[in-house]
Amino acid sequence: MAKDRIGDVWGERTPHGAGTEWPARVDTFLQPGVSEDEVRWVHSTCILCSNGCGMDVAVRDGRMVGVRGQEFDRVNHGRLGPKGLFGWQANRSSDRLTRPLVRRNGDLVETDWDTALDIVVRRTRELLEEAGAGALGFYNTGQLFLEEYYTLSVVAKAGLGTPHLDGNTRLCTATADEALKETFGCDGDPASYSDIEHCDTLFLVGHNVAETQTVLWMRMLDRLHGPDRPRLVVVDPRTTEVAREADVHIALKKGTNVAVLNGILHELLHNGWVDRTWVDAHTVGFDGVATIAERYPPERAGEIAEVDPAVIREAARVIGSAERLLSTCLQGVYQSNQATAAACQVNNINLVRGMIGKPGAGILQMNGQPTAQNTRECGANGDMPGFRNWQNDSHMEELARLWNVDVSVIPRWSPPTHIMQMLRYVETGSIRFLWVIGTNPAVSLPELGRVRSLLAKEDLFLVVSDAFPTETTMLADVVLPAALWGEKTGTFTNADRTVHLSEQAIEPPGEARSDLAILLDYARRMGFADRDGRPLPPWDDPESAFEAWKECSRGRPCDYTGITYERLRGGGIQWPCTEEHPEGTERLYVDGRFPTEPEECEEYGKDFVTGAQNTEAEYRAMNPAGRAVLKAADYVPSHEEPDDEYPLALNTGRTVYHWHTRTKTGRAPQLQEAAPDVWVEVSRADASANGIGEGDLVRVESRRGAVEAPARLVEGRQGAVFLPFHYGSWDTSRDGDPASGSRAANELTMTIWDPASKQPLLKAGAVRITKVGDAPEARRRGEG
Amino acid sequence: MGRAEPVHVGPLLERLHEVEVGLADDYRLTGERHAVEHDVFHVSHTLAKQCVAHANRLRPMLERYAGGPGDEASEEPSGLADALAGARRKLSEALGRREVPGLLLLRDLTNLFVAVAECELLWTVAGQCAQALRDAELLSLVTICHEETTTQLRWVKTRVKEAAPQVLTVG
Repeated sequence: MAKDRIGDVWGERTPHGAGTEWPARVDTFLQPGVSEDEVRWVHSTCILCSNGCGMDVAVRDGRMVGVRGQEFDRVNHGRLGPKGLFGWQANRSSDRLTRPLVRRNGDLVETDWDTALDIVVRRTRELLEEAGAGALGFYNTGQLFLEEYYTLSVVAKAGLGTPHLDGNTRLCTATADEALKETFGCDGDPASYSDIEHCDTLFLVGHNVAETQTVLWMRMLDRLHGPDRPRLVVVDPRTTEVAREADVHIALKKGTNVAVLNGILHELLHNGWVDRTWVDAHTVGFDGVATIAERYPPERAGEIAEVDPAVIREAARVIGSAERLLSTCLQGVYQSNQATAAACQVNNINLVRGMIGKPGAGILQMNGQPTAQNTRECGANGDMPGFRNWQNDSHMEELARLWNVDVSVIPRWSPPTHIMQMLRYVETGSIRFLWVIGTNPAVSLPELGRVRSLLAKEDLFLVVSDAFPTETTMLADVVLPAALWGEKTGTFTNADRTVHLSEQAIEPPGEARSDLAILLDYARRMGFADRDGRPLPPWDDPESAFEAWKECSRGRPCDYTGITYERLRGGGIQWPCTEEHPEGTERLYVDGRFPTEPEECEEYGKDFVTGAQNTEAEYRAMNPAGRAVLKAADYVPSHEEPDDEYPLALNTGRTVYHWHTRTKTGRAPQLQEAAPDVWVEVSRADASANGIGEGDLVRVESRRGAVEAPARLVEGRQGAVFLPFHYGSWDTSRDGDPASGSRAANELTMTIWDPASKQPLLKAGAVRITKVGDAPEARRRGEG
Repeated sequence: MGRAEPVHVGPLLERLHEVEVGLADDYRLTGERHAVEHDVFHVSHTLAKQCVAHANRLRPMLERYAGGPGDEASEEPSGLADALAGARRKLSEALGRREVPGLLLLRDLTNLFVAVAECELLWTVAGQCAQALRDAELLSLVTICHEETTTQLRWVKTRVKEAAPQVLTVG
C-alpha cells in the first residue's frame, strides 16, 4: 500500500541477486473511504513518465477513485512511483476544458464543435489556396497514443502534404532517436529493462533516474542493495540521489560530456579493454574513433571537464573490467552541449567492448516521455512512419502504397521540419497556421520571451488541443477540449520497446473528445481521400487505427504484426513481435547484425558538429553492410560559457513530484503540496560569495530574461545553478497574460539546438544571481 | 634527395592560406547577418574558428615551401570588422524578426558554397602535391583539413536544401 510515498519516493527495498527475478511489490492508492471490493478495475498503463508501468485504474460510479500496479507486468512488477499513484486525480479537476473555445473580440468564448472545427477547416483551406501546405504546421506531444500519432502523421503527410510536423519529443528524445539511427542505422533501444537483473556494471550518463523514472531506479536499487551488487558509474554535474549511490561519480563541468567520454574511451583503448575480434566483425569506423580518442588522455579530459583525471581513469577501469555492461543516457546528455556526439560515444563505449545483445549487456538511450517511442515510430515527430528513411525513394513509395496516395503528396524533398525551425517560419510569416496538440510551448520551449511573441503574432492562426487551460491556450485563436489518458483507449510503447494497452476507464468531461476523434473529424471535414476516393485515413476508432499501423510496421524493425489489443490485456509485449516471434523480442542485435544496410536504414547519418547530411552515395561509401557505425567527435566548447557579466552556468531539469509544466501534477494535491513552487539550487560556495542564505529570494538573470526564486543551498559544483523547469504561470498569472508571474526556467534559456538531433539545449547558457529578499522565517528553518 | 625545388607549391599553399582566412571572414559575416537563424549563427562561428585553425596549421608548411610562415590568423575579427559584425547582428535582429529574410539567407549561403568549394578544390590539389612530394607531414595535415572542408561544403548544401523549398515556394 502507499504509505508515505511522497516522503519515501522509492518505497521498501526488495533486494535480490544477479540473474534472479525482480520480486514483485504491488503499490496501490485508493482515495480515502473507498475499499477494493466496491471498485471495477480497468486495464491501463501509467502515463506520467517514460517508464511505462502496467497499472489498473479503479472506477466507482463512473469516476476514477484509485490505481494499482500490475504484478504481472514485465516493466514494474507491481510498483508505481509517486506521480503514478497520485497524478490521476488531475483528470477530475474542476478546471478541465469541457467546451471548444474561439477568440471573439479578443476573448476566448465557448462554442460548439461544429463552429470551432469549421473555423479551423476554413483557415486551413484559405492557406492551402494562398500559399500551399507549407504554410501549415503541427506541433504535438510525447503523450498521445500510438493510434493518434499515426492518424496525425497521415493527416499531415498524406492529407495535407506538409513537412511541418514535429512533437515536443524534440525536447526529450530527439537525441536518443538520432543516436540510435547514427550507430545502429535505425531507432529502437537494443537493451531491455530486464538487463538490470543481469548486469554487473551500470553506466549512467546524465541520467537522474531516481527522479525521472522512479520505478526503474527501484529496480536498480534492488540490485545495488542486494548480493553481487553491480558497480555504478555516474556522469552528472549534480550530486543527485543516483550519484550518492555511485562507486564512481564524475561530477563534470556542464557541457563537457564529450571530453569525458572521449577520455574514458582513450583509457579503454590504451589498456586493451577492447573486444577487437567483435569490433572487426561487427562495426565500421573504429580507426576514426580511435584517432579522436587518442587526443583525450585523462589529463586533458579532466582539465576540460574540471575533474580529477584519476576519477576518469577509475571510471574507465570499472567499465573496462565489466563483463555485463548496461549503459543509459538521458537529458544530461540530450539537452547538453554536443548532445548527439555524446550519446553516440556512449554507444561506442559499449560497442568497442562488445557489450550488446547479451543478457545484462546493452544500451538504453532513454525516452523522456511515456509515448515518445510511438511518435518516432509513427513519424509525428520529424521521422517517417515505420522508421522509414525520407531520403530513400522506395521507402516513400511503400508509404504511398500503404496509404493509396500518389507518392508526390508525401513531403520528402527536405527533412521534416523541427519545431525550432517551424518557429522561425512563424517568425518570418511563412507558417501562418499552427496546431498545438497536448503540449505547452509557452512554458517548455527555450527563450520564452521570444516564443510568446511568436505564438501571439497577429498573422498566426493558433489552434490548441488540450485538457486544461495553459499558458499556451491563453494565446490561442481556437481551443479544443481533449480527453485525457483514462478517458480513451490506445496503446503506447516505452524505451525498452514494451507495448502496452491503456483502456478507457471513464467518460471524458463535458464535450471533451479524444485527440483521435478530433483529428478524424478534421480529416473528414477537410475531405481527405485516397486515390480511390476512400476517406483518408480510412479507420474510425482506436483498434482499427492500430490494425492499420501494424501493416505500416510490417517487415520494419518495429514490427507490431504479432500484437493485438486482446494479447496486450495480458501485459506488455516488446516489439518486434511477429507471427514467427509471437512473444516479442527482449533484446535487439543478439546476432551482431544491425539494420545499417542502405536499403533498410532509417538515416544515412549526419555530421555531429554541423549537422551536414550524408547522401545515399556517401553512406554507401562507408559500406556498413549490417555492421554498427562507430562515429565520434572532438570536444567543442559550449556557445555561451560563463563570463564576468554572467558568471554561473545554468542547469535546468525535473523534480520527482512534477511532470512537465504541471498541468496534471499541479492539480494532484499530494504532488502539488510536495513541490508547490519554484526554487533555485545554489552551491554553498556561490551562495556565500553572493551573500545568499537558505531560503533567501534570489533573482536569476540571463541575457534573455529573469526569474525570482527562493534559494536552496546544496553540496556540489561551484559555478553552477539549477532551476526546475516545471513552473510557468497558469496558476500565478494575472489578466490571462502568460508573461506575468512567470517562474519558468525557460525565461533564461537560449535558442540553440544540437546540430544533428535538433534538440534544444535547455541545459545551456550563463546566468548571474542576486539576493533580492530575506527568507521568511519558516523557509529558513527548512519548512518552506 | 637532390630533386628540384617544387616552385609552384609555395604559391598554392599561400593561396590556400589566404582562402581559409577569407572564408573565416565569410562565415563570421554570414553568421552575423543571419543571427536570428540560430543554427546558422552558431555553426558559422564554429566553422570560422575551424578555418582559422586550418590557416594556422598551414604556417609551418608555408615556411617550408614559400619562404615564410605568413601572418597568424586570429579567431577574433579585427576591431573594425568586429564593430561592423556587431552592427550587422543588430540589423539582422531588427529586420529578421519582422521581414522575410529567406532570400537573403539563400543568396549568402550560395556565395558561401562557392567560396568553400574553391577551398575544397585547393585542398584536393594540395593533397595530390603532398603525395607527389612524399611529404607525410603535409599529407596528414591536408587529410584532416580536407575532410573538414568537405563537411563544411556538405553543411552549406544541407542548409540550403532545408531552407530553399520553404522560401521559394511558400514565401
